[in-house]
Amino acid sequence: MEGKIIVVTSGKGGVGKTTATSSIGAALALEGNRVAIVDMDIGLRNLDVVMGLENRIVFNIVDVVLGRCKIEQAAIRDRRIDNLFLIPASQSDNKDVLTTAGVERVAKELVKQFDYVIMDSPAGIERGFENSIVGASEALVVCTPDVSAVRDADRVIGILYSRSLVPKLIVNRIEPARVRRGEMLSHEDVMEVLSIELAGLVPMDDKVLISSNTGTPLVLQNDSKAGQAYKRIARRLNGESNVPFEVPTDKASMWSKIGKTFGLKQ
Amino acid sequence: MLSGLLKRFTGQKKKSKDEAKKRLQFSLIYDKLEVNDTTLTDLQNDIVDVISKYFEIDKESLELKVKRDDNVSALVFNTPILHVRRKQA
Repeated sequence: MEGKIIVVTSGKGGVGKTTATSSIGAALALEGNRVAIVDMDIGLRNLDVVMGLENRIVFNIVDVVLGRCKIEQAAIRDRRIDNLFLIPASQSDNKDVLTTAGVERVAKELVKQFDYVIMDSPAGIERGFENSIVGASEALVVCTPDVSAVRDADRVIGILYSRSLVPKLIVNRIEPARVRRGEMLSHEDVMEVLSIELAGLVPMDDKVLISSNTGTPLVLQNDSKAGQAYKRIARRLNGESNVPFEVPTDKASMWSKIGKTFGLKQ
Repeated sequence: MLSGLLKRFTGQKKKSKDEAKKRLQFSLIYDKLEVNDTTLTDLQNDIVDVISKYFEIDKESLELKVKRDDNVSALVFNTPILHVRRKQA
């Protein structure tokens, strides 16, 4: 049976796309799937350092598409998680070196070898983005609860729709205390504005930076709330239908608890 | 906290996220209404063709605009009519 290609996009940069891609890929592999994560950000590769695989790069996705090597030669096997592979981006090539037709050809080859192929798209809506959505059968849009990320997400969602892809939303970096104070859009607000279905909710988590510092997979840290959230997203993608959407919460302060008891707070 | 409780009694401060949501909803609608120049020119030419079947119009002084108010967007087409064309059977 052929595998699935899932593209992870956002429009705006810096919203946690790379963390989302690596975590979902790792979690899907932990579920027993053979997974390839492909860094499509040609010229600005990052997935390799985030995943701690930067020292093992020999070939990259450009080499594969241009026929300079086989997929097996470019795919770096993760030593901590079975069946997890990274095909890194090229750091030296021009970002427009890949053609859509070339990527499509490789995509067809990838689904024969892997259960899931996760494409990490570059920020923006240019050629690199177009290349990363070709061949995808599912799309995830990562968005933080701020006006610029939401607006860019809307633009990307529109483009995905025009390519017959119905994306699902990951709301990232939710800060429950700020949502409660009305300082931050809630995930319901974001979903309503974008009129899109949810893939998952990810809380703001200090562990994300720490795990990228050391290049260790976030999903292997049981004390990481974001890591656990990505595990639930992966289970949903993997076909589990009853994984609950856990809305991030903070421990309510004593005063707000008292307020709640007296019906002063909703 | 205490200040939070006080706020409850004295009336809630306006939440910034509500403003963010409202501004987003408006800007997303306007983003989609943005029409590029070629589309507008093509549209203008088509409209001129249709109107010219019935009226002789001053093609130099016509204007086509997308007018935006707070609540609605409208396409406004302005042209002076010079003559009414006789319909041919």
